[in-house]
Amino acid sequence: MVGTSQAGIAPEFEALVGRALGRAARALAFAGGLVLTAIAVMTVLSIFGRSLVFAGLGPIPGDFELVEAGCAVAVFAFLPWCQFRRGHVTVDVFVSRLSPRAQAFLAMFGNGALSIAACLIAWRLWFGMLDKFAYGETTMILGMKLGYSYAAAMPGAAFFALVCLYTVWRSLNETIRGREVR
Amino acid sequence: MSGLAMSAIAFAVMLGLIFLRMPIGAAMLLTGLAGTWIVTGTAVPVLAQWKSLAYDTFSSYSLSIVPLFLLMGQFAAKSGMSESLFRAAADWLGHRRGGVAMAAVGACAGFGAVCGSSLATAATMGQVALPEMRRLRYSDTLSTGALAAGGTLGILIPPSVILVIYAILTEQNIIKMFVAALIPGVLAALGYMLTVAVYVRVNPEAAHAAPRVPYAQRLRTLIGIWPVVFIFALVIGGIYFGLFTPTEAAAIGAAATGCYALAVGRLSRRAFADCVLSAASSTAMIFFIVLGAQALNTFLALTQTPQAAADWVAASGFSPWLVLAMILTCYLVFGCVMDSLSMILLTIPVFFPIVMALEFGLPPEELAIWFGILALMVVEIGLITPPVGLNLFIIHSLAGDVPMSKTYRGVAPFVLSDVIRIVILAAFPVITLGLMRAMF
Repeated sequence: MVGTSQAGIAPEFEALVGRALGRAARALAFAGGLVLTAIAVMTVLSIFGRSLVFAGLGPIPGDFELVEAGCAVAVFAFLPWCQFRRGHVTVDVFVSRLSPRAQAFLAMFGNGALSIAACLIAWRLWFGMLDKFAYGETTMILGMKLGYSYAAAMPGAAFFALVCLYTVWRSLNETIRGREVR
Repeated sequence: MSGLAMSAIAFAVMLGLIFLRMPIGAAMLLTGLAGTWIVTGTAVPVLAQWKSLAYDTFSSYSLSIVPLFLLMGQFAAKSGMSESLFRAAADWLGHRRGGVAMAAVGACAGFGAVCGSSLATAATMGQVALPEMRRLRYSDTLSTGALAAGGTLGILIPPSVILVIYAILTEQNIIKMFVAALIPGVLAALGYMLTVAVYVRVNPEAAHAAPRVPYAQRLRTLIGIWPVVFIFALVIGGIYFGLFTPTEAAAIGAAATGCYALAVGRLSRRAFADCVLSAASSTAMIFFIVLGAQALNTFLALTQTPQAAADWVAASGFSPWLVLAMILTCYLVFGCVMDSLSMILLTIPVFFPIVMALEFGLPPEELAIWFGILALMVVEIGLITPPVGLNLFIIHSLAGDVPMSKTYRGVAPFVLSDVIRIVILAAFPVITLGLMRAMF
């Protein structure tokens, strides 16, 4: 390790946390991807069933509801991975003339803004979930409790907030070091 | 303060934040949130709305088409379909001067039929076609330019992620949008091929003709593209004939493409993880911007900006064509610095009501679809123009030793072809709408 890469606030600990969060975010995104794949397979089966009504088969009941719930859970699970990979779109062209350090500094603000948004989303989702449970709201066909779908989305939302906060730290250390590691 | 003035200030602040590198979704979300708070004077309704807004947005049935199409595009990229498309196109066109570049454009168009993203198309076809063009000693300028431009066909030719989002935002029929996009997409491919032909006529040293291929082999390679034709027909035909919903079609497309990739032995466990993780990252990026747009739209609706802007433009007495030209120019300029999806999400809430208030002699539905196709084509130009043409960067990263300036020069004639096509499509709406009128 060269000297400059050691600079920053608890750089070794930051790297360690980064590796752990990265691995967890990847695993969560992969799990979300399996949910997405399952949605696709379930939909295909449902269509087969629908086309074989004459043979006594039928569509999977509530397939639309499963798609909706699965999609929401998958998207929440994808958010931390995207943030960890610096995947959210930014407009870099107006700051490209600035020094790498200034760019990293602006990225820190951007990640701060994302952290505020992510914390808000997770915080409100939590209360939304409590509401859904309290009112016992269910889906039309399957009668699934919406609270459970919210609960399944919760880990993604909470982890998104955590990863956002970590990326502020990462950007801060990169600002101190004077450049971003892409 | 009037609602219009307030949203003008909000837009200025938001653009300032975006240009200072704040992620676009976050800037939209926080601006919308703060704006709503200020207008209503209390945070209570905002906080109540956010209990369900994120979940509701992410669980939208029509939006679930997006991750499924992205997954399908990823599987397609791994499946080797790009090779067979390019092989077939090169066998049929390669013996012409510049024919391999034309073949690359044609293969991009074919790949666009199973992939809804420009970047994935440029990256996949670039990997296949670039080495071949270099082997045949095509000039770097021509080969990188043709591939970067060809990549934009990925999104022009249905299925297309941006068209899906546009259709949802403006409450249009997705399959009608897809049908309407077909002829403009094919025209784009033909325009690019024509550009190659003109280019090699002016610069004969830029390309050499490959030997002619016998018809037996041409037919054999043509048959090799059956999976692409089959999947495209299944997805688009299935929606058109009412066999399944667009989301179901996307699920079938993803499953069929995945199964094909598995069957030809290209989908190892590692490749599957790659596909899923790439689709995950793009999905999260898109949905987060959509969520930001929801927050912004709440604020805009509260201030009644869209209606006020539409009324103002309608009352101003400007010619509809002038207003349309101004909007498209605006997209062209912003497209140079911003990605296409963010731009559509950012502007449609205000621009769309304005356009719908103009009189072009078209029924509202046709006007909405025609404008959507025009807007999509204009924002896609931004992908191949400096300073942030993402397709250029992708091709540049594949052709490591080609200087960026050569790629910029190479893509210029294709941008010209884009502009000519857009002017023609704007002047004659029937080109875009004809097929749709005939089919519905």
